[in-house]
Amino acid sequence: MPVGLSVDGALGYPSPSRPFRPSRYVPVSAATAFLVGASTLFLCFTCPWLAERFSSSIPLYNVVVFLFTLANFCMATFMDPGIFPRAEEDEDKEDDFRAPLYKTVEVRGIQVRMKWCSTCRFYRPPRCSHCSVCDNCVEEFDHHCPWVNNCIGRRNYRYFFLFLLSLTTHIMNVFGFSLLYILHHTKHLDQVDSGVTMAVMCVSGLFFVPVAGLTGFHIVLVARGRTTNEQVTGKFRGGVNPFTHGCLKNIAHVLCGSQAPRYLGRLRKPHSVEVQPPFLRPPLSEAQLEAKAVDNGIQQSKSSLEIMESQSTDADPPPPPKPEHRYPGMPHTQNEECSLLTEAPPTPSLYKYRPSYSSPGKNHTASTHSSKMSRGNSMTESPSVPVTTGQPSYRSDPSLSSRGGAGCRGGGEGGKAGSGGLGGASTFGGRSYPSFTDTLLQSAAASCSSSLRSAHTAHNALGPLISEGTTSTSYKSLANQTRNGSLSYESLLTHSESPEFESAAHELSPPRPHPPHSLSTAAGAPPISGYTSPFLSAQQREGSLQACPAPLRPSPNRAFLRPTSSPPSRAPPLSPRARSLGSPPPGPAPGHTPLGKSLSYAGGAELQHRPSSSGGGTPMQNNTVSFFLQPMATLLSLEFLYTPSIFLFFFLLCSLSLRSSAFFCPPLLLPCGHKDDSVSVLSSTIKQNVANHNTPSHKPVGGVKKVTGVGGTTYGISV
Amino acid sequence: MAETHSLQDLRQAAVTSKVFVQRDYTSGTICKFQTKFPAELESRMDKQQFEETIQTLNNLYAEAEKLGGRSYLEGCLACLTAYTIFLCMETHYEKVLKKIAKYIQEQNEKIYAPLGLLLTDPIERGLRVVEITIFEDRSIGSR
Repeated sequence: MPVGLSVDGALGYPSPSRPFRPSRYVPVSAATAFLVGASTLFLCFTCPWLAERFSSSIPLYNVVVFLFTLANFCMATFMDPGIFPRAEEDEDKEDDFRAPLYKTVEVRGIQVRMKWCSTCRFYRPPRCSHCSVCDNCVEEFDHHCPWVNNCIGRRNYRYFFLFLLSLTTHIMNVFGFSLLYILHHTKHLDQVDSGVTMAVMCVSGLFFVPVAGLTGFHIVLVARGRTTNEQVTGKFRGGVNPFTHGCLKNIAHVLCGSQAPRYLGRLRKPHSVEVQPPFLRPPLSEAQLEAKAVDNGIQQSKSSLEIMESQSTDADPPPPPKPEHRYPGMPHTQNEECSLLTEAPPTPSLYKYRPSYSSPGKNHTASTHSSKMSRGNSMTESPSVPVTTGQPSYRSDPSLSSRGGAGCRGGGEGGKAGSGGLGGASTFGGRSYPSFTDTLLQSAAASCSSSLRSAHTAHNALGPLISEGTTSTSYKSLANQTRNGSLSYESLLTHSESPEFESAAHELSPPRPHPPHSLSTAAGAPPISGYTSPFLSAQQREGSLQACPAPLRPSPNRAFLRPTSSPPSRAPPLSPRARSLGSPPPGPAPGHTPLGKSLSYAGGAELQHRPSSSGGGTPMQNNTVSFFLQPMATLLSLEFLYTPSIFLFFFLLCSLSLRSSAFFCPPLLLPCGHKDDSVSVLSSTIKQNVANHNTPSHKPVGGVKKVTGVGGTTYGISV
Repeated sequence: MAETHSLQDLRQAAVTSKVFVQRDYTSGTICKFQTKFPAELESRMDKQQFEETIQTLNNLYAEAEKLGGRSYLEGCLACLTAYTIFLCMETHYEKVLKKIAKYIQEQNEKIYAPLGLLLTDPIERGLRVVEITIFEDRSIGSR
């Protein structure tokens, strides 16, 4: 699997499946041109007079600030943001194709979901997100910035932040000193110097508002220890951010933390250690041997089986080991045969929540489209084959019976055996791919689809499945670039992937895998603390989606249409996962303003600040700006954003949005620990200032123990 | 990769399986690996030894990520030189990573290779997992 070898972010050559897009370089070129051009003109035309009239330290100061800005700009542009290399195939075996879409981990007492990334083939660590523009998972993903044509992540967030600070300072300097020049040359405005200075003043004045807005937004984010992604997707709406360490420590972490290492482009040293038998063995205690005998053998390796065979005390043959079919030279064929002969009938593909491995860097559109079409077909044509082909495996998925969810790991013995059988059937070339030509698999998948469908209708969470295939394409063309959670402006138009997918999956499937034996208890078990009702996020989404224009707003029933990287032939097993994964895509989430940086960040920032105490008042702010700007957003597609006239347009819209977010400043004074007070001030003022056109059904979350954001991360809050 | 493995077979034992020790996120996003002893290794090595290795790795990563005077000075110096210092100097994290690589190699040579195991530096996997390769033990039994 080719690991991205690009050392630098913005300079990385596109992967074979990603076409070269010159339009991607327009905003960064424009930003560079404006920055360098305006500054150079200022230094050449205005500064000589300033040096002469006042002091030569003024130009020197301006040069220093300009160089600092430029340096940070270059670092933000060219530095690897913290891209994770693609996981290698053998890492997949631990999370085989029956593993759930989400894994939950506890981060400082709060449940956080890790989502499976089908492109990168691993569960995304907390705060990691997949950028569809760059087609990479980025550590501590902030957003994809078109102005530097790079993702902002863990490694380069500091430079981006310093770039914003220094650019704001630089713009203020240029504007201020230019104004000083003009005020002293009011009678000589026809001169070239004056003309140039006036032009520079205009440009700097124009850029000051959005840049300052964005800077202020990021100051608040840094103080609160949040990323842009978390802020605009509302992950911590209602409260607890497990990643914050307090205001001062957050700032220290950003500004004073050690430079994180890059993961790509490292020289991989070959192992210089030779591993040759005979190997030492640790002495096994009797207790260990007995434990092995009783163990159902799920995690057994061949070597542990050998010991068991020689000292076996139980009458039943030990179950076969997990399929280890990735290494040629191994007598794996024996295992396949054993597993096929001794095991219960293979598990139905009920548990295949994730697409299996496909070639990396695939063009998602074609494969996902075709796979979705075939999934749609299979769902409509599925025969009514009973799901419980394997008793243990069925038992091991209580959530399926109770909620029809597709979120559980098939941990049962039968499940594993089924996996082994199925996995074994297709192990050639040392790679274990699920056997998609396996007819049993396909029929099982089809039966799963039908059973899942019937289970889901009870929740009213699925709409007409038939319409999926036909209507998905129109949406996909819009969301093509930004499917996977990128926070470029296009994606802000359509929302990043992970939040709505997670929230939709939330709606459709329980995120927590239940242990296999707990069917009876888990079927009616209350959700584990930290898990919120999926319906809350569904309703929130519904409400927000109503504010959106029709072409952009997908039906919530497109929950299944998660773009995947799997090829069409693998469609059948993917149906359950498709449901759990696919969520309504990106209708703009509450408070989303897809235009312009300051709009999206400033507007979005403030409108997202909804403390639990003011839960009732929140629906209005959610959609005020988005309501005004939604129709605009449809016009401002990718190409529009980068024409020069847009800058003027931004300015006008900025003033519009700033009126509503005019109270952005107070939080700057009290960024830490006073968010509730300042935000309640904000919410009340915003309510007064902006007509309430929409009231999405936003349930107040104050007083509730389990909280979820639109982003889907669940938090348990003690009230 | 298949070719590489078959070539290695001539010189080394065949790879049976790989165990992946996942990250431990209970303390946040700092780099820390779970010290829970994987079931696959139960018959191959001592639990204490494994835990000690992982704990040492965790301590080393904590040292790398520590917010101290050193990282602050490094940041200030980088700012003052417009980040050109990165062309000449190695960052603190990179230095600790080299230490970690050395430690892992040492552990492999002394402890893991004789047991038929091999640790892979987690940086190769993006600091997401510690990969432990289990080699086939041809000396015991027919399998």
